[in-house]
Amino acid sequence: MTVATQRQGGGYVERGGGGSSSLADVVELILDKGLVIDVFVRVSLVGIEILTIDARIVVASVDTFLRFAEATNRLDLYGKGKGGKDLTELVEGVTEGGARGKTTGMLDAAVDKVGDMLGGGREEREPEREEAPRRRPARQRAREREE
Amino acid sequence: MSATYVYGLVGADARLPEDLKGLGPSGRVSTIAHGEVAAIVGDVPVDRPIGTRDDLLAHEAVVDAVAATTAVLPMRFPAVVESDGVVEELIAPHHDHFVDVLDALDGKVQFTLKGRYEQDVVLAELVEEDPEIRALQEKVRELPEDASYYDRVRLGELVVTALEERRDDEGERLVQRLEPFAAEVVAHRPGQPDDVVNAAFLVERARIGEFEDTVEDTGRDLAGRVRLRLLGPLAPYDFVPEG
Repeated sequence: MTVATQRQGGGYVERGGGGSSSLADVVELILDKGLVIDVFVRVSLVGIEILTIDARIVVASVDTFLRFAEATNRLDLYGKGKGGKDLTELVEGVTEGGARGKTTGMLDAAVDKVGDMLGGGREEREPEREEAPRRRPARQRAREREE
Repeated sequence: MSATYVYGLVGADARLPEDLKGLGPSGRVSTIAHGEVAAIVGDVPVDRPIGTRDDLLAHEAVVDAVAATTAVLPMRFPAVVESDGVVEELIAPHHDHFVDVLDALDGKVQFTLKGRYEQDVVLAELVEEDPEIRALQEKVRELPEDASYYDRVRLGELVVTALEERRDDEGERLVQRLEPFAAEVVAHRPGQPDDVVNAAFLVERARIGEFEDTVEDTGRDLAGRVRLRLLGPLAPYDFVPEG
């Protein structure tokens, strides 16, 4: 690990990887990626049991909507009500931390969930919204969400 | 018949880092070479199924530690073969293909960049700019929770749609800024509505410094609005050719 240097530098960007990644990162990074060779298919002959892993963090649409509605409504707790407020106030609101705590909590929950799946070896299949083309018209996306 | 775990493939002359810890009971990781290709192998736990969270983390740690110093072709997790088959069935029949792929990946590593909006900052922009969102937000606020369910769903849908439009645009510009420093780029669709970017960059080792500096500059420009996270150097998970 001498060749690839980890810069400590300015610190505007959080660093990870190379064995120090979180479980969620690793799941997203390596599941379903990498070389597949047909010899792996016959592994069952060796008597080794392999868990099928397909952990996807897919939150039901309505839950996602409600979560963002809540986050949007919460904005006003910091402000003066009607209309907007300027960016400085908002940034202060963020650094004071109420909202951030909440978001982090949800992330942790998602990670725990993936952990459970991996640990318990549950089989999950939820292929929607993965590997989809990057740019699609908004209308198409809206339709998907209604499904 | 016994089984062998295969983490990935390297050139036959590659030297593994010393302190690798595999997922098998012995923890040992070694190589089996044939021609110009070597498989990075270890033992397999026999008293339990493979595929736990620790197995996954061990696989990643081994493959990425190797990737830090040498070109590696990662196997898809989890990869078990019959011990007898490592050379005869895995390497030998595909030897020349593996050599080509390893050559193509030689001297390059993957970085994965993820970005997430500072939620409150960007949501406030949306409320500010979109009269429909603002009107609905005010309506929802005045109703008791039970009575506002459908309005809240609608508000959330509007917000999510607006967020996704915004991030598609900003995410693409972000990738474009870093593209000149990479040999190849794969942009994934970000998972959550407030995720801005999830892209893999294949970067030449000689250009890692430039690439990292540009990511850092980008992070500084976006500070307070988008939080960037850079994973790497990693094995080229997103750049393994199909088949």
